[in-house]
Amino acid sequence: MSLRISKIIAKSLALVAILSSTCFAFSEGSDYVALKKPIPNAKNTLIKVFSYDCPFCYKYDKQVTPKVVPRLPADLQFRPFHLKTKGKYGPQGSELFAVLLVRDQKNGLKDKDLYSEKSLLKKAKMAYYNAYHDKKERWDAGPDAYLQTGLNAVGMTRAEFDKEKNDPKVKALLKEWDASYEVAKIQGVPAFVVNGKYLIMTKSITSVDSMLQLINELKSK
Amino acid sequence: MKPTEMFNTFKAAPIQTIAGWQDKRFLWILMAAVSLFMVILAHSVFQIWLYMRPCEQCVYIRFAFFCMAFGGIIAAIYPKNIGLKLVGYALAFWGTIQGIGYSLKLNKIHEAAHSDNPFGVQGCNPEPTFPFHLPLDKWSPEWFKPTGDCGYDNPIIPDGVVLSNLQKTITDFYQDGWYLWPPSHFMNMAQACLITFGICLLVLAVAAACWLLTLWRKRRSLEATERLACTGKHA
Repeated sequence: MSLRISKIIAKSLALVAILSSTCFAFSEGSDYVALKKPIPNAKNTLIKVFSYDCPFCYKYDKQVTPKVVPRLPADLQFRPFHLKTKGKYGPQGSELFAVLLVRDQKNGLKDKDLYSEKSLLKKAKMAYYNAYHDKKERWDAGPDAYLQTGLNAVGMTRAEFDKEKNDPKVKALLKEWDASYEVAKIQGVPAFVVNGKYLIMTKSITSVDSMLQLINELKSK
Repeated sequence: MKPTEMFNTFKAAPIQTIAGWQDKRFLWILMAAVSLFMVILAHSVFQIWLYMRPCEQCVYIRFAFFCMAFGGIIAAIYPKNIGLKLVGYALAFWGTIQGIGYSLKLNKIHEAAHSDNPFGVQGCNPEPTFPFHLPLDKWSPEWFKPTGDCGYDNPIIPDGVVLSNLQKTITDFYQDGWYLWPPSHFMNMAQACLITFGICLLVLAVAAACWLLTLWRKRRSLEATERLACTGKHA
C-alpha cells in the first residue's frame, strides 16, 4: 500500500518536473526564429547586428550588451556586425567600425573585451550614438563631417583611416557584414543571432539573465 | 428637422434612429473625413512642414486610417445598399481594430524608449510589412516609408533650412516629441491615436448593432404578419 502511494507520488513529481521544465523552455516563434538564410561561417558565435541610427541599439549598448558579453560562455565568440543599409551614413559608419574593429584585434583585444574602455570600436560607436540621439546631430554637411565625429573620438587621422580601410581584413569584414541586412529586415535592430542560425526575438528578452539563458540554450541546439 | 424634434425622435426610438442614421451618408462621410484629416495632418503638417519623421508603427497607423476612409467613402456611395454597407463596415472595423493594435504597440515602445528599461519591446524596423504584404512603402514612400524611429517623433530640421517664425515656434514647442500638450508631456501620439480609434470603434459598434437589431425586428414582424395572414386564410 505504502509502496503504491510512494509510486504515485514519485510519478506525479516526475510529471510536475516535466511540465515545469516545458513551461520554462523557450519556444521557437515567440522567443527566437530560425533564419531561413543562415549567416555563413558563424558556428559558435553570438552576432549582434546594430546601427548608429537606432535608438534601441543605443539603449542596448548602454544597459544590456555590456552586461551580457562578459558573461557569455567561453566557447561562444561575440561578433558585432554594423548594418550599412540603415541611416544616411550607414556605409561610412560600417567602414569606420570595421577599421576600428580590426585595430582593436591588432591591439590584442579579445571579442569579449569589445565593451571595455580600451576598445576603439566602442569609443567611436558611443560618440555616434551620443551625437545622433542625444545631440540630434545629422551631419548635413556630408559624409566627411560624419566620419570626423568618429575619427575625433578615437584620435585617428583621415589619412590613417583612408589607408586602413583598404586593408584586406577590413574588406573581408565588410563583406561579411553584408549579411546584416537579411537579418535586420526580419524584426529590426538590434538583432542577436546565435550560431548564425537562431535570431532572438528582442521583445521576449525580459532581463540580462533571461537573455543569457536563451543564448545558452540556442548555443547547443 | 429642429434639434428638439430630433432629440424627441431619438428619445422615443433610439435604436431605430441610429439605424436610420447609418442608412444616410452623413456618418460615413464624417468617419472618412476624420480619418483623412488625421493622415493629412500627420503627413502634410507634422511630417512635411514640421520635419517630424514617421516611424514604422506610424505608417501602419496611417494605413489603418486609410482603410477607414475607404470604408466610409464606399458606404457613402449609397448607404442603403447592403453590399456597399457591408464593405464599408468591414473596412472600417478592420481599420479601427488594426489601428488599436498598432497604437498599443507604439505606446509600449514609447514607454520603453523613454525609460531605463528597454526590455519587452522590439524597436522599429525600417522595412515595414503591411497587411497582405502590400508594398505601400514602394508605391508611395512619402506617405508610407518609415524614416523615423518608434517612440521618437521630435522635429529634426535639416541643415540649411530656414524656418519661418511660425515654424520655429511650433518646432520648438514639439522639441521633445509629439504630445497633445508638449510642455507637460501629456498624452503621446500613440495614446491620442488610440483614443481616436477607440471612439470610432465604439460609434461603429453601436451603429452596426442598431442596424442589425432593426433588421432582425423587421424580419420578425414580417414573419408575424405572414403567420397572421396564413392563419387568417385557414380560418
